Amino acid sequence: MKVLLSWIREFVDVPESPEDIGKLLSVRGLALEGLEPHGDDVVMDFDVTANRPDCLSMIGIAREIATAYNRPLRSEGDGFSHRHTAATAKAVALRTSTDGLPITIEAPDLCPRYAGAVADVTVGPSPQWLQDRLTACGIRSISNVVDITNYVLLELGQPMHAFDLAKLGGGAIVVRRAKPGESIKTLDGKLRSLSPGMLVIADAARAQAIGGVMGGADSEVTAATTRIVFEAAYFNPSSVRATSKALGLKTDASTRFERGMDLTAPARAMARACALLEQIGAGKATGTIVDVFPQPPTPRPVGLERASISGLLGMEVPDAGVERILRSLGFDVKSASAKATAGHAGWSITAPAWRVDIKRPVDLIEEVGRHHGFEHLPSTFPGVQQAPAASDPRIVRDRRVRTALLGMGFSEAITFAFIEATAAEPFLAGLDPIALANPLSEKFAVMRPSLLPGLIDAVSHNRRHGRRDVQLLEIGTRFSPRGETRGAAFAWTGLATADHWSGARREVDFFDLKGVIEQLAAVSLVAVTFADADQAYLVKGRSAKIAVGGTTVGVFGLLDGAVAARRDLPPGDAVYIAEINLDALTAAASLETLRAAPLPRYPWVVRDISILVDDTLSAGAVRGTIRSAAPGFLIDVREFDRYQGKGIPDGKVSLSFRLTFQSFERTLTDEEVQAGMQHIIDALTRDLQAMQR
Amino acid sequence: MTIDPSIGPDKARELFRAELADVRTDAELQALRTRWVGRKGSWVSAFMEALATATPEQKKAFGRGANELKKEVEAAIAEREAALAATRRPADAVDITLPGRPPRLGHRHPLSLIRDEVGAIFTRLGYQVLEGPEIEDDYHNFEALNMPEEHPARDMQDTFYLQTPLMPAAHAATAEAIALRTPALRPPQPLTLLRTHTSAMQIRHMEMNAPPVRLVAIGPVYRKDALDLTHTPMFHQVEGLVVGKGVTLADLKGTLAAMAEALFGPGTGVRFRPSFFPYTEPSAEVDIQCIKCKGAGCAMCKRTGWIEILGSGMVHPAVFEAVGYDPNEVTGFAFGMGVERVALLKWGVEDIRLFYENDLRFLEQFGL
Repeated sequence: MKVLLSWIREFVDVPESPEDIGKLLSVRGLALEGLEPHGDDVVMDFDVTANRPDCLSMIGIAREIATAYNRPLRSEGDGFSHRHTAATAKAVALRTSTDGLPITIEAPDLCPRYAGAVADVTVGPSPQWLQDRLTACGIRSISNVVDITNYVLLELGQPMHAFDLAKLGGGAIVVRRAKPGESIKTLDGKLRSLSPGMLVIADAARAQAIGGVMGGADSEVTAATTRIVFEAAYFNPSSVRATSKALGLKTDASTRFERGMDLTAPARAMARACALLEQIGAGKATGTIVDVFPQPPTPRPVGLERASISGLLGMEVPDAGVERILRSLGFDVKSASAKATAGHAGWSITAPAWRVDIKRPVDLIEEVGRHHGFEHLPSTFPGVQQAPAASDPRIVRDRRVRTALLGMGFSEAITFAFIEATAAEPFLAGLDPIALANPLSEKFAVMRPSLLPGLIDAVSHNRRHGRRDVQLLEIGTRFSPRGETRGAAFAWTGLATADHWSGARREVDFFDLKGVIEQLAAVSLVAVTFADADQAYLVKGRSAKIAVGGTTVGVFGLLDGAVAARRDLPPGDAVYIAEINLDALTAAASLETLRAAPLPRYPWVVRDISILVDDTLSAGAVRGTIRSAAPGFLIDVREFDRYQGKGIPDGKVSLSFRLTFQSFERTLTDEEVQAGMQHIIDALTRDLQAMQR
Repeated sequence: MTIDPSIGPDKARELFRAELADVRTDAELQALRTRWVGRKGSWVSAFMEALATATPEQKKAFGRGANELKKEVEAAIAEREAALAATRRPADAVDITLPGRPPRLGHRHPLSLIRDEVGAIFTRLGYQVLEGPEIEDDYHNFEALNMPEEHPARDMQDTFYLQTPLMPAAHAATAEAIALRTPALRPPQPLTLLRTHTSAMQIRHMEMNAPPVRLVAIGPVYRKDALDLTHTPMFHQVEGLVVGKGVTLADLKGTLAAMAEALFGPGTGVRFRPSFFPYTEPSAEVDIQCIKCKGAGCAMCKRTGWIEILGSGMVHPAVFEAVGYDPNEVTGFAFGMGVERVALLKWGVEDIRLFYENDLRFLEQFGL
């Protein structure tokens, strides 16, 4: 809200500098957004919060300043010296007339109050001072009559309108809902079709204005206008909001009405407008002001307990301060302490009609608190009544996985949870994507079904910006029609080893990634098994599913070249990716039931064995045969060499295993170990046709 | 250079000391040894030779001096030899100026660092840290927070809505559990939107738990803002909620002052400015003293000395009523802060989009 300092000073004596006023008001609830000189004057731009439509006016801002500085407010400003003398007729009927113009409210639910006044006018330019004030506050000067409506809007906050009386057919004003198929050409020159339920101000035949939103072009005041009707009314906030939204039409009037206006203001505003008309020589009201207000509401007082003020704020405000602040803001304050018990002593407060935001005691406490000054709040801490409950267990779990991956060289990425539909497509696993109805753009159209698309794009970004080796991880939410799950994903491309002057370089491969997963499993205390993956976005034969106790918890492997190319990765890049469902992993983990085993007290025995087998046989199968044939004291089997080539027949592979035997009960004898070895060799020969080398 | 034996031992000592002081290498030291105490042609041998033909008086006068000088020279040379040896690097020494072989180690994302830091601060203050669903229903995101149907924030322009409402099994189960605890509350509602604040999580917590409450909810939230220097359509929020008997606005101030000092350094002041949020009353926007100029006024704080950092207030009675708490029995405070905003301020990041580009050149500036 732009206000002019000189205009404010008509309502309150505030000689302080605009900077000083801005500083104080900023800590009283009106943040100063801008300060601009305007000739000898200053325009102050205050940020008015949505709950305070009353501050969208000079008098509203002046009232806040008066309270902040503890100065009296002149509710009629210095400019009011020229009074309009016509008496205000307090009509209570739904239908009444001014100077022969009947006004009828047919929709009192949408318009509980409508004031009108007929005036003879000579349309022309406004005096310079008036034009200046409007311009300073961001409103274009149009003509003396229209300028008066805008002047009153700025000064008192009450939106007004002026109709050319000659253009009102049938010489009547009817406030009613729009008829089916009705339309109106608004002041901005657009033809608008109205839906039934929208409130219009009509003459005897048709709509001449959209109530509280915009006037109609047909009854617009022009240079030729000689007789007008001023309108000052109260329109229902929800109705104006709905109409403004449906028509896509936001005006100074609609923004005020939809927040809630002052039910008492129309009469004041009308008197002010008529007075201004005479003051600037633009014309004269010819009849009485007619104020159709059939059911003035009874203001409802709100009780304010003294103890609740310090109870909520944590600072004491003296009674005199409470009363001063509320009275200064226009509240009616009655002490309710006399007969009440000490604990409930306080006040009965009635809010002024312009304070549409005051409904509960806390609303009053806020008024007291902010004008007493939040700067007086002490710094205290809330007491603890019971031990705080545990945090979300996912936080600790995620931290463990993140720390492990960081320690294995992956840097942490955070990507947007919405992605392009085509990027999500390969990762949907047969489920529907969660699409947004109103995405920011095609790039953010669906919620990610997997962390991988975002991570692949992040790898692609780094590759395209000249980074050869990229290791990234992300921990976050994945979305599917079945709900949300938390996942950890990581991607690796480039060198597997440190790029160092001393050593050989090697590109990352399948086993680098598998090693990472095995380490993650180790620190998560789960045993994982692997099987061929069938995800289309992974290269067959270079990818695997990860399972814990029969449940698949993730996949990893080489990213399919076509998917990589679609995400602008340089051709030929080998990007290894992995994704783990952390929720599924946690469900299988045994961290809570961990019992530490004692260290073995007897020595171990190591035996190596090298065999020739068919090269189609997996290492896993060989290891399985060894384990099933081995005695109970075999504690470890490790592949330490795999060789094909010179000296090995075609179709065969040489595998070397290191077997470790150890008993927790006694020292093993050579004979025992030898018998065990023989048993293993027999099984390998018998079951896998292995030849010992 | 030859040495003049006619110089007496005292003079010779002086000369030797001067020469020794200039010796820098093993080779120079060897040359010095040869010149002074070598078997042939050295000063000592020449002096001894000269002494052989001297008078007995001269022998008596200079002989002992020459011997002492010889011993002294040899000792001094041996000492320097040892000193030189001590500075010499062994043959198998490595060039320690070559770069080290770095073990693999990743860098934390800056937003993740702030999340953890704030989580740790509030854990220290006795809060539980919670995370919640990112897809929400209308009721938990808006209505229960005193933002009725016509509230402007519910506009399509500010909130992301789903094309098709969802009712996953887990969500239905939670809704049922809530209905069991507080039958008056809503029946299960389909999920329709991306949460615009983590406050939705606070509603869920209060529905399921009786007071007192002392929590922070951390996580991503979504608002329909176009990408620019200061906006991203997804960002992260930390929200705090404390509910109990006698919780006051002053408690909020103390809490936020403690957080500001922990995040931005000791002595960082906070300022409360009255404001408006539908779910708090009174409401306050909270500024911290500008971390750049310490309140003196600079470009960063637009010469005000203060930087806005979060919104807060006392929980609105309507919110308590929505979750089945009695506003006459309990009061509470709540605050919400953008993680990105803290990171931008703390590290002087000038473009918020950097947090989502995941450029390693950016990420690697941060620690672990």
